[in-house]
Amino acid sequence: AQEKFTLKMAETWGPNFPIFGDTTKSMAEMVEKMSDGRLTIRIDSANKHKAPLGVFDMVKAGQYDMGHSASYYWKGKVPNTLFFTSMPFGMTADEQYAWFYHGGGMELMQEVYEPHNMLSFPGGNTGVQMGGWFNKEINSLEDLQGLKMRIPGFQGEVFAEVGVNPTNIAPGELYTALERGTIDAVEWVGPALDLRLGFQQIADYYYTGWHEPATELQFLINQKAWDKLPADLQEILRVAMRTAAYDMLIHSTHENSKAWATIQEKHPNVQIKKFPDEVLNAMVKANAKLLAEAAEGNPEAAKIIESQEKYLRNARNYTDISLRAYLNTMAEIED
Amino acid sequence: MIGIVMFVVALLMLMFGFPVAFTFGGLALLFGVFAEGMDLFAFMPFRIMSIMQNTVLMAIPLFIFMGIVLQKTKLAEQLLESMGRLFGGLPGGLAMSTIIVGALLAASTGVVGASVVAMGLISLPVMLAHGYDKKLSCGTICASGTLGQIVPPSIILIILGDVLGLPVGDLFRAAVIPGAVLIGLYLGYIIILTLLKPNMAPPMKRINDDTRSQEIVKALIAIIPPLALIAIVLGSIFTGIATPTESAALGGVGALGLAVAYRQFSFKLMWQSAQDTVKVTAMVFAILLGATAFSMTFSYTGGDYILEEFLLSLPGEKWGFLIFAMLVILILGFFIDFVEISFIIVPILAPVAEALGLNMLWFAILIAMNLQTSFLTPPFGFALFYLKGVSPPAVRTTDIYTGVMPFIGLQILVLVMLFIFPGWFGMSS
Amino acid sequence: MRWVIALDNLLARISYLCGWVASAAFVLMIFNVFYNVLARYVFSEVSIGMQEMEWHLYAAVFLLGIPYALRTDGHVRVDVFYDRWTDATKAWINMIGAIILVIPFSYLLIHYGYSFTVESYALGEGSGDPGGLAYRWIIKSLLPVSAFFLATSGLGMVTQAIRVLKLGESYTSDKSAGGLA
Ligand code: NA
Ligand code: NA
Repeated sequence: AQEKFTLKMAETWGPNFPIFGDTTKSMAEMVEKMSDGRLTIRIDSANKHKAPLGVFDMVKAGQYDMGHSASYYWKGKVPNTLFFTSMPFGMTADEQYAWFYHGGGMELMQEVYEPHNMLSFPGGNTGVQMGGWFNKEINSLEDLQGLKMRIPGFQGEVFAEVGVNPTNIAPGELYTALERGTIDAVEWVGPALDLRLGFQQIADYYYTGWHEPATELQFLINQKAWDKLPADLQEILRVAMRTAAYDMLIHSTHENSKAWATIQEKHPNVQIKKFPDEVLNAMVKANAKLLAEAAEGNPEAAKIIESQEKYLRNARNYTDISLRAYLNTMAEIED
Repeated sequence: MIGIVMFVVALLMLMFGFPVAFTFGGLALLFGVFAEGMDLFAFMPFRIMSIMQNTVLMAIPLFIFMGIVLQKTKLAEQLLESMGRLFGGLPGGLAMSTIIVGALLAASTGVVGASVVAMGLISLPVMLAHGYDKKLSCGTICASGTLGQIVPPSIILIILGDVLGLPVGDLFRAAVIPGAVLIGLYLGYIIILTLLKPNMAPPMKRINDDTRSQEIVKALIAIIPPLALIAIVLGSIFTGIATPTESAALGGVGALGLAVAYRQFSFKLMWQSAQDTVKVTAMVFAILLGATAFSMTFSYTGGDYILEEFLLSLPGEKWGFLIFAMLVILILGFFIDFVEISFIIVPILAPVAEALGLNMLWFAILIAMNLQTSFLTPPFGFALFYLKGVSPPAVRTTDIYTGVMPFIGLQILVLVMLFIFPGWFGMSS
Repeated sequence: MRWVIALDNLLARISYLCGWVASAAFVLMIFNVFYNVLARYVFSEVSIGMQEMEWHLYAAVFLLGIPYALRTDGHVRVDVFYDRWTDATKAWINMIGAIILVIPFSYLLIHYGYSFTVESYALGEGSGDPGGLAYRWIIKSLLPVSAFFLATSGLGMVTQAIRVLKLGESYTSDKSAGGLA
């Protein structure tokens, strides 16, 4: 009989967390079937390891062989991990996958993770994330001044540049804080996951996204654990991760459309809003400034940013005459 | 299997009287290292870090501090005594005041450790000083202190919302009536008990020769400052000035302010209160640390899989399933904490409940009510440990264990009512 | 026996020092939270750095409080039998418990807490949020440091037990507070 392998995987999410958690489960199932049981993946959710944001360290140290998380969570540890999730005003999911697999993105990502004895692979995409739930309408830059918003990470820095007060609120107190006006706005994910937290019951304005146009999760693998696998199992794992990641993108589309229909039907109070041009232009400027700062004295960051920007320009030219042109055509016909 | 052996050994070891926290933690280590090797403990720093970053738990030291300052300045005593007097010569007045204060705390937060310890500091000495039965006093405090888990806002409900995929707002609304019924039953129980056995909760002696109206005026005056404090805490939450956690800090600073206003403030008072706060906080968190080590060993030695297998063998018909599920949660509640139950057990039960076509909101409230009971059940109920940590030596563990029994009974009564007549609580099955 | 007394007194002083630092951290924490609420509500200003300082201080309160509470007997015991036992029996329970439960537990926390901290230091880890605090290794180092003090408090339980067993001292003095009082 051939040797059997088991990989232990820690995920940042709780058990049965929709969409994200389904992705790891389906990946593990595929691996097991494709390898005829020679490779098993055992998933530990956050309730078991109790360290949602310790996945990086635990996989690096080999306490777990694999992880499922999002690269930008490690920004405080390794700043250049930031670029492999989604950047404000950045690529769409299609464009970003193209960049990863055909435009040199994977190689750049590997460069960042290699010193930490890990491999990183795309781990599923949420699609365009919504811009957040607001208690009041935003009509001008003025309205953003001093606005208290739960918005973490780099995206929070961009908001901070235009006058927002990014605020920490424990997830358990988020609903109450928004309901009672302790904070004015919350950024979460998209209809499917937001619906569960009930924000539609307490906030009227649901803004469209700009800050995370294609949030990509990640699979992390400890280098030693990877090296131990025979080549055929490595390939099975690689294919299963890639399939599961793509599957999450369409699963997100499916669940979000369902959830949005529910919100429209049951919560007519919710209005979709777009940030005014004045605000968006200020954010574009802020984003550019912060990226320039990140690139300064950090050649690796400079290289990644340049690669992304160059790829985006080129891919967007094509998106404009294909997807955008199609959507515009459809919109005209419907009118 | 190792997990189960570990439970039994812990149960026996606790009887030696070595500190609970380190009995849990040390046994977790002995069993964990034996089964999995030393490296199992490499997970501990991450678990402790999660507790360090859990800012909701920060309410615990803050509320403890407020309680200690109120106790040291005797303002708490005044509050309870005057509330007791307002209930007139009625026996049981202090106990009822305790329940009401507990309900108010419950409506402002949901952190059991904070409520039980604060109430233990504030009302236990007063009740004992007025000749209340030790068991009754302890039971009242533990039960009122755990109300926070069912009365919204509640951490159990937020976690259940996450696990079951239900909007938090719906859960909060659904929990209002069951919570109110529970509070009503607690009060009713005290009234009936004191009618039958007035000696257990004697009425407070009249001071001097005050007439009833003079007494009421005095009581109203005494009640104002602490009531103002409660208004600050609740008010800041309901107006959104502060999160529940932060409101606890406002309460603490407010208590210092009251001490200044009543010319009782000194830096010594503040420092001693801080030291006592540290000691009580350490007691609570040591238990959390020991418990996290314990549950780590339990699940990494395969305990979670054994539980899962067992649950999947539950009967598949509606009432049979529900009764078994509730019994399992109730019994597990004796041993493991509610977060574990919510994250390990509930996800296994949920698909079955859904397949049986149960109203998931109702199912969630049943679970929440059940989990609340688990804080009170000996020998591992956290509320019992917390109260023990702040009670004078004269109060023994057995007093607390027997004191909570009637209240556990009342909780189970509400659970059964909710189970059989969901309509009474504004829900459908 | 004189060295046992000297050692015991030294260990007590270390534990009390932990309590002093934790108490100071608590006072800072309560005013830190108060200030943050005030700043947000009155001046509409939020600093994530100041918000993070809250949990840094809160972690110091309980991590350093635990060894202090161990020395002052602030940890809950199930006293169903314990209260009725003689001081000698209590001394044996405390000594054996400290040696097989507390000290090994502290040792593993020191061991793994140390690598946990070193990793954070090597990465130069800081907050990933806007305006958050840098040098996360400092707060992480509190874990092995407090575990070290837990071990010294555990050792203190042993020296205390020896004083009770060999010198006939009793547990009912100020060393045993029986809860808060
Ligand atoms: Na998001
Ligand atoms: Na509550």
